[in-house]
Amino acid sequence: MATLTKQEIGTVLAKQGILIAFALFMIGFTLANAKFLSPDNLFSVVRSSTILGVMALGVTFVVISGNLDLSVGSMMSFSTIVVLDLHDKIGPLLAIPAMFAMTMALGAMIGFLVGYLKLNSLIVTLGMLSAIHGLTLTYSGGKNMDIDNKDGTWFDVFGQGSALGIPVPILIFIALAALLGLLLAKTPFGRKVYAVGGNGTAATFSGIHRARTVFACYIISAFCVATAGLIQASRSMGSQNTVGQGMELEVLAAVILGGASLMGGSGTIFKTVIGVLILGFIQNGLLLMGLQFYVQFIVTWIIIILAVWLDIAAKRGRLWSPIA
Amino acid sequence: MKIRTILAASTATTVLAGAAFAEAHGPMTIGITQNNVGVDSYQTTYEQAFIAAAEANDDVDVVVLDAGGDVARQIAQVEDLIQQGVDSIIIWPTNGEAVIPAVRKASQEDIPVIVTNSNIAEQGFDFVASFSGPDNITQGSRSAEIMCDKFKDMGIAEEARVVQISGQPGYTTAIERAKGFEDRLPEVCPDVTLVETQPGDWNREKSQQVMEAFLTKYDDIDGVYSGDDNMGVGALNAARAAGREGIIFVGATNFSVGYEAMEAGDYWGSIYQSPVDDAEAALQTAIDVLNGEDVPFLNYFDTPKITQDNMGDFTKPVF
Amino acid sequence: MKTGALSEALKKGGIWGFIVLELIFFSVAGQFLSLSNSAFMDLDNMLLLLKQSAPIGIIAMGMTMVMINGNIDLSVGATYAIAAIVLLDSMTWPIFAGLGDWVILMSWTLALLVGTALGALNGLIVWKTGVDAFIVTLGSMLGFRGLVFMFNGENPTSNLNWTLVDFAEAEVLGLATATWFLLAVTLVVWFIMTRTVHGRNAYAIGDNREAAVNAGIRVGPHMMINFAIIGFLAALSAVVFYSESGSVNPNDGQLFELWVITAVVLGGTKITGGAGSPIGTFGGVIAIQLLRKGLGHIGADTSTVNLVIGLILIAVLFIDRQLNVKGKQELRI
Repeated sequence: MATLTKQEIGTVLAKQGILIAFALFMIGFTLANAKFLSPDNLFSVVRSSTILGVMALGVTFVVISGNLDLSVGSMMSFSTIVVLDLHDKIGPLLAIPAMFAMTMALGAMIGFLVGYLKLNSLIVTLGMLSAIHGLTLTYSGGKNMDIDNKDGTWFDVFGQGSALGIPVPILIFIALAALLGLLLAKTPFGRKVYAVGGNGTAATFSGIHRARTVFACYIISAFCVATAGLIQASRSMGSQNTVGQGMELEVLAAVILGGASLMGGSGTIFKTVIGVLILGFIQNGLLLMGLQFYVQFIVTWIIIILAVWLDIAAKRGRLWSPIA
Repeated sequence: MKIRTILAASTATTVLAGAAFAEAHGPMTIGITQNNVGVDSYQTTYEQAFIAAAEANDDVDVVVLDAGGDVARQIAQVEDLIQQGVDSIIIWPTNGEAVIPAVRKASQEDIPVIVTNSNIAEQGFDFVASFSGPDNITQGSRSAEIMCDKFKDMGIAEEARVVQISGQPGYTTAIERAKGFEDRLPEVCPDVTLVETQPGDWNREKSQQVMEAFLTKYDDIDGVYSGDDNMGVGALNAARAAGREGIIFVGATNFSVGYEAMEAGDYWGSIYQSPVDDAEAALQTAIDVLNGEDVPFLNYFDTPKITQDNMGDFTKPVF
Repeated sequence: MKTGALSEALKKGGIWGFIVLELIFFSVAGQFLSLSNSAFMDLDNMLLLLKQSAPIGIIAMGMTMVMINGNIDLSVGATYAIAAIVLLDSMTWPIFAGLGDWVILMSWTLALLVGTALGALNGLIVWKTGVDAFIVTLGSMLGFRGLVFMFNGENPTSNLNWTLVDFAEAEVLGLATATWFLLAVTLVVWFIMTRTVHGRNAYAIGDNREAAVNAGIRVGPHMMINFAIIGFLAALSAVVFYSESGSVNPNDGQLFELWVITAVVLGGTKITGGAGSPIGTFGGVIAIQLLRKGLGHIGADTSTVNLVIGLILIAVLFIDRQLNVKGKQELRI
């Protein structure tokens, strides 16, 4: 009967903790403000989370493979600025693939440095954060980029369009999440990503495989960043060079909230999506409750630490750390 | 066209004016530390115009620095300029108060300091030779008038509700524009309510988010005043995405995106302020001060109202 | 000479060689590109450089300790801003009204205490929960920034006290107040890390935590002390800087963590812990400030500065890797 041991509770918490927390949040906010659960509000939260969400999908791969990516924020501003600039020069049909190619080339560079040269990913992507920002400023000459003729183009479809009553950015997010979720969970490649990030460093894979897998993760991350940049550009049809700045840490927070370990080897796309939604709903819920924006910072702080703490506490079977 | 005429005219005066100091001392070196170039087009265009104006004048050499929005770096740059022995320093403050001690240091070395674009706090006035820039309080009240006149035309001046998206907190321009708007609006339109003010940090994306929150929170919004057009267009994007029509948008510092939105009929009005005028006025003020001419302490250049009705009189901003 | 010895020498002296290269480059390039009449290598200019290195440099010393210990602290920028607000705000508190200029002493103490407490809080959480320091301080980076905004909304906190400014601007033996603080902190941290049990244990823990535990070292308290120290130093950096400027924007200190980590890594400290020195960090800090100043001197704009610093960071990592190629396998964070 009452034999649910601490350990069993722990296991349930570890596996479903993030979902339980999410459910509790939704109930709490709904009780606090009836407007919270209205379809309009739900849509608006999900829509405004998509850019962060799309980036978090890619970073999930990188984190599971045991690395970090701090450059996604400035890479996103790069792709936004580039696609806006090229839109007027070579038309949207060519601009979009060109932007994807350029962004993924940056991803390939990081992947090469971290995967093949085995450099520390934190420092490499920190350097790239600064370097890509410089590159963006050089490219744009510090000017805002704007599409000249905003009504004569179909480019706005990615950020502002809707199909079947659902905003296109949400559709992109769902499609990409499904695709990458399958890739990670159901393919040999996905298994390699987990293995590389886990402790299979030496045993399971040769150096070549390891490097190739890490490289691919950064390419995927760059692809997601390019998609996010596309949505951002299409949403505002013009942009400053500062767009996306500082987002790398929000993205990482969402991935961590979803339960991916920074040591690598654990995490799923589904949980990352939940992590993204939690961040979005916290922000929105607190705002609807009439609280100041900074409360959300403090709440996020507490939630991140609690979430990770409970997760590892359940895994090791005791609440407090064994560190003496 | 118009801008080119102004530019030509002021370049001509600049060339003439450099002469007096140059005859006595050789070419003058003027250092400038800007707030954050690259964060928006206004500052970038300002920098280019400043360099162009200086290059057109044989008697002036300039050292152009950018603080990247960081107070510590800006203070370091003022110290660098003092150390390099420039003849005058132009500063675009990152924080209207934090730079005062650095400015005092320059004035103690007898280097005249000209504040440009956004003024420093009053405690620092003793150490400054002149302020050159727009009159932001007047700009705020002009924006209030533009909005009020439009409400009267529409017949909703008795019940209209307005939200405000202000510039970066702590930034004198933001404070003064907000003050001008908030003071003037009840004078001309006593029945219009200012529902809420939130900062948009001069940032289009941030402002779009702020406006999204406003739209969720308030079902009835008739007007949006934003501290510049860059933020105004962000707010406009949010309203468009939410399908809310009929909102009157009024901004300040007319950007080309704002001008285009006015052409398209989505954006009502703004204040016309040219970064080229701003940069040239700052350089000219520094030159005048070095030549020992009498320069008014508050050296404003004119920034007229621009709305959909009179926009034909203005060329499209280049930034 | 054996290659081992050469690479060892390169590793130890790398950052100083880099500084010399920078000095030569900017002096030569300055001749052609700069409008300034004075030389880049001017003594006054170099003294100024030391002073300007202080805000980042003082925090970087704390980061060196934390990183040698095998942790990282992303919240230093926010701690810096909180300490600045406490400093400037507390000077106007009614309870200190009767103190005259002695209030400065109270406010300094208060700001330093708050910084130390926040650092210790981070350390305590890392210790007791076992959550990775990266995640803990990523969280508190947000949380502390929230506290900053709680204080005064998005408005700046200002209090221009000329006595304080005069103290901060004072020069003793030709060195500015901030320089003295930087030098003193460097010396003290060097002493702690090389001459005390705490320092030796910090290296041992960062090098191999399990071995340290087996050797009977109590890991937790050492980590917490280091976090308390970096909190204290972030506050000290704020206290020194804001005494001179008297006004803090709520966003001040953002990105400081990135600059600080860059300086520490340039100075040769391993991100994985166990190796590094405050002296090397001092070199790293000087190298970055020199780069900023030098690029400004030859008229490069912000975009170039960002580009160059980012690429140099990666290049240093690469070179370090090449020199260590036969060294022990690097741990992932």
